[in-house]
Amino acid sequence: MFKPVMVVVVLSTGLAGLGGIPAHGEPIPQTAKPASQLEAWHREFDDICSRTEDAMTYTPTELEALIRRCDALRPKLEKLDETRRKVYLERLRMCRGLYAYVLESKRNENK
Amino acid sequence: MNRNVSAALVLILILCSSSLSQTGTKKKRPLPYDYGRVVINNYSEQADLAPVVFQHWIHRARFTCRVCHVDIGFAMKAGGTGIKAVDNSRGYYCGTCHNGKAPTDGKVVFEACSKPVNTAEAKRCDRCHSLGRKVQSDYDFFAFSQPLPKERFGNGIDWEKSEELGLIKPVALLDGVSKRNAFSAQKDFALNPKVEGMPDIIFSHKKHTVWNGCELCHPDIFMGVKKGTSHYTMVDISEGKSCGACHTTVAFPLTDCQRCHSKPVQP
Repeated sequence: MFKPVMVVVVLSTGLAGLGGIPAHGEPIPQTAKPASQLEAWHREFDDICSRTEDAMTYTPTELEALIRRCDALRPKLEKLDETRRKVYLERLRMCRGLYAYVLESKRNENK
Repeated sequence: MNRNVSAALVLILILCSSSLSQTGTKKKRPLPYDYGRVVINNYSEQADLAPVVFQHWIHRARFTCRVCHVDIGFAMKAGGTGIKAVDNSRGYYCGTCHNGKAPTDGKVVFEACSKPVNTAEAKRCDRCHSLGRKVQSDYDFFAFSQPLPKERFGNGIDWEKSEELGLIKPVALLDGVSKRNAFSAQKDFALNPKVEGMPDIIFSHKKHTVWNGCELCHPDIFMGVKKGTSHYTMVDISEGKSCGACHTTVAFPLTDCQRCHSKPVQP
């Protein structure tokens, strides 16, 4: 009654469905590009701003370097189309703000 | 006599009206399903559309604050982002998830502002552009909140406990949008209130960092760099400053004193 081909199709469809719907708490698959396919500004942005969670572990020198990288990236983001400019300039402002905040806090600690 | 009575009545009326004008009107407490509701009207009415009504409760059950307010870039104040339809259709802001592709609850999440719509598709616009319209939502607040632990204030849901019990599992990362290294846990700490006898505030830095990340709060909301040097009054907080940025709008409200002032007072 059930042909083996049908069983394979039903099973693979089910497995694909299970893999395709993420459980809550897991990353939702978007149209993510691999890092190598991203534009240079985007790779630089990701590299700088992916470190905010570790900001407290950086030395003042490292934080200063990150802030300089933020400042160097800003003019590149300003040349993007209106939507991406708005999104990424705001995100950059937040991550630069945090590095500057942590840097000031560390300098205060040393006083 | 009559003249005296009339004069007294006029005086009372003047006093009453002046005292009312000084105290202002009492803020109406929102209904549970409206707590955290945001109305966005930067461009909607210019485009002959109703303003957008955004319900925090359905979104916060699925995503941490950080995903939307840091990774996607939504401002912390209504209308502060200046979202345009074209932004959504390019896959940013609401369009990051509302793209007709992302799966949710076994179906595909609807597209936001994806392309020019004809009359038949106009109902899709109404899903968000719904202020003043009777729009049937896919999600019913009471059905949604029924199995979740209860809280007295806000929208009546204990979100923290709901997460602890695994009843909600907010997503903390969006592929292709969120980029971050391993998380460095922060330590919780106590804050001393100014009023004697008031229990200390136990601030869970750890929980707040998991939900918000670091840059959502520092330095925009909390700018003090040295612990104990910034002072936050309840008046400031109730005006939306510091803790009030979230705890007057979306997170449990200030009326829920014991949620923050939670350290037992030593006799």
